[in-house]
Amino acid sequence: MLKVLIVDDSLIMRRNIKKYLTSLGHNIIGEAKNANEALDFCKENKPNLITMDISMPGMNGLEVINKIKNISQYFSIIMITSYGNNSFVKSALQEGAQGYILKPVTAEKLYESISKIYPEYLKDEDLENLDE
Amino acid sequence: MEKKIEVVHTYTKDVLLPIIKRVKSYMETEMKIDIFNVSEIAYPKNIHLKKNTIMLGTSGSIKLIITLGYDDILLNKLVEMFVDGDDVDDYESEEVRNSVACEISNTIIGNAIDNPIDNSDIYITPPVLVSEAKTLYKDKFSKFVFVTFATKYGDVQLTAVGPKEQFEEELDFKEI
Repeated sequence: MLKVLIVDDSLIMRRNIKKYLTSLGHNIIGEAKNANEALDFCKENKPNLITMDISMPGMNGLEVINKIKNISQYFSIIMITSYGNNSFVKSALQEGAQGYILKPVTAEKLYESISKIYPEYLKDEDLENLDE
Repeated sequence: MEKKIEVVHTYTKDVLLPIIKRVKSYMETEMKIDIFNVSEIAYPKNIHLKKNTIMLGTSGSIKLIITLGYDDILLNKLVEMFVDGDDVDDYESEEVRNSVACEISNTIIGNAIDNPIDNSDIYITPPVLVSEAKTLYKDKFSKFVFVTFATKYGDVQLTAVGPKEQFEEELDFKEI
């Protein structure tokens, strides 16, 4: 089970990502609506994984990745974006994000992305749960 | 001697058509809502926005203001699809409704926008809700482009506003 922080300014996205990750057996330890809330949370808590909308009002995703990585190199970050053909995504991966998901977000996409970062969490029963 | 072919890029063909296609595919594939009619592209002098309208801007080498408006009943149906049977508390129902409209618009535009003009990055502003209907009037340097998509729950209204010279009016609509 991973400890996850969800960073997104959209209420419906926080709700849906939380639902999908919970169904995959992960523990949502925090939600943040913007970069500052996310940074404050990371100073006090130690999530294994952060899912983060690449486009939020205020600080952009690249700045946030840098600041989060300054707090700890051990946080894994999956960026959520609606546009994939963009050097912004490539830069995010170079800056230290471990993966990205192209919207619309589904439980299957989250599962695949997490499995690449944490292959030890790849379990057959997870896939069966997704089908139900 | 090899004939050199000049490829002319325009906002209508290269930017708007992919968005129109993505509105249709998103509604039908992701939301399971059939689009039974897509209107011809119109170039009106002013546009009356729907009550539930989301506005996004693009920056970079393509500069457009794009709006997507949703009829009430259609938006209710989209919310129902998004929450997928989960309860929504009364106190957050308005925010859920707004965030569904924003999320769908952001996903459609983000998925559709590529940059055939010069391949440089295009950035999309975070979506903004324009609450209550408003009328937009264009000036002489801009052009409105307007398309509606009909579903059994009501219409989606797509509007793009951009520099006048970037839109051509002759378009092979069969591409959709």
